[in-house]
Amino acid sequence: MRRHSRRVFNLCYRFTGNSTEAEDLSQEVFLRLYKTLSSYKPAFGAFPTWLTSVTRNLLVDNYRRTRRDRQTDSIDDAMPQLEEKHSSARAPDKLAEATELSVQLQRGLARLSPELRESVILRDLQGLEYNEIQVVLQVPAGTVKSRINRGRIELARILTEMGVRPS
Amino acid sequence: MDWSCAFTDERLSDYLDGNLSPAEAAAFSAHSAECANCAQTVALVSGLVNRMHKMEMLEEPPQLVAKILDATLGPRTQNEGWKRWFDWVPILWQPRFAMGLATVAALLIVISYTAGLTPAKLKKADLSPTNVFRSANRQAHLTYARGAKFVNDLRVVYEIQSKLQPEPETLPVSTPAPTPEKEHDSQPPNSIPQQKSQTSPIPNRTQVRNRPIFAFLLTESLADGMAEITINSSTRSTR
Repeated sequence: MRRHSRRVFNLCYRFTGNSTEAEDLSQEVFLRLYKTLSSYKPAFGAFPTWLTSVTRNLLVDNYRRTRRDRQTDSIDDAMPQLEEKHSSARAPDKLAEATELSVQLQRGLARLSPELRESVILRDLQGLEYNEIQVVLQVPAGTVKSRINRGRIELARILTEMGVRPS
Repeated sequence: MDWSCAFTDERLSDYLDGNLSPAEAAAFSAHSAECANCAQTVALVSGLVNRMHKMEMLEEPPQLVAKILDATLGPRTQNEGWKRWFDWVPILWQPRFAMGLATVAALLIVISYTAGLTPAKLKKADLSPTNVFRSANRQAHLTYARGAKFVNDLRVVYEIQSKLQPEPETLPVSTPAPTPEKEHDSQPPNSIPQQKSQTSPIPNRTQVRNRPIFAFLLTESLADGMAEITINSSTRSTR
C-alpha cells in the first residue's frame, strides 16, 4: 500500500508540481481503484502498470478540467508561473528531502508540454519500460520513443537555460 | 554510415538506452566526436538521464495513507467523552491477546513449579520473601544435584560397560555383515533367511545385550548413594 501510494504520489507531484494537489489526486486515484478493483483483469497488464494507467487518466482528466482556470494566451507559457508559484508556496516545506536538482527539475518539467512531460516522467522517474509506457499512454511504440527523446532533449535545453548543468 | 546532426537528435535516446546496432552506435559516436554541438547535446542529455535515474522517489505526506484508507474503507469511528478511556478494551478480545496471556500463565506455572511452589500445597507462610528465596535456592541445588547424579550414573555405567565389553574382533555383532549385493549375487532370494540364521548366533547376542543392563543395575545403587551424599552436602552448605 505504502509502496504504491508513494509511486502514485510521485507521479502526481511530478506532473502537477503541487504537493497538495498531488495528495488529493493520489487519494482520488485509490478511491477510483477501490471502486473498479473488481473489474481488473490480468489481461490489462501487470498491476503496477494498471495503477499507473488509472493515475495517468485521472491526471489528464484533472489537467483538462483545470485548464480553463490556467488558460491564458498560451498554456505552455502560463503553466510554469502558476506551478512555480504553487510549488514555491507549498511544496518545499513539506518535501524537505527534495534536493536542489529535484526542485529545479520540477521547474523544468513544468515547462514541458503535458505529452512530453508524462513520457519523461514515466520513463526516467518512474522507471517504466517502453512497452509499459505504450500500454499506459495508449499510443504506438514509435510515438512513445519519439516523445521520450524529444522530452529529454527539451528538458536538458530548458535546464541549461535555467542555468542548471545536468551533467 | 553517413550520419548527420538530425540523426543524432532523432536517435539520441536509442543511443542512451543501448537500442542502436553496433554499426549505428559507431557512426553515432564518430559524429559526436567531430561535431561540437552534437557532443554537447549528448553530454547534457546523458547527464540529465543518469541523474534522473539515480533520483530517489519523494516521500509521500505522512497523512496520505490514512486519508486513502478513510476515503476507501470509511473513517474510523472514535468514541467521545468518557468512552475514549475504554478504547483499549476491544484489544482484550483479540485471539492474539488471549494466546499471549495463556503463554504467560503457562510460563508462570512452570517457573513456580520449578521454584518448588505447588499451588495446591501453598501456605501463607510460603509467600514471604525469605521462604520464597530459600525454596528457590533449595530447588536450584536439588536440580544441580540431580544433574550431577545423572552425569555420575552415566560415567559409572560407561566405565563398567567398557570393562565388561569383549574385544571387538571376538564379537560376532561387530563382524562386518555381508552386503546385500553380495548376498543377492551369491544366493537366490529364497535362501536369504537361512543365511541370516547361520551368521547370527542368538545366545551370544542376548549375552552382549544383557551385559550393560546388568552393569547398570549393579551400579545404580552405588550412584544413588553418591548422589545422596552430594545432595545432603549441598543442602547443608546452604543452611
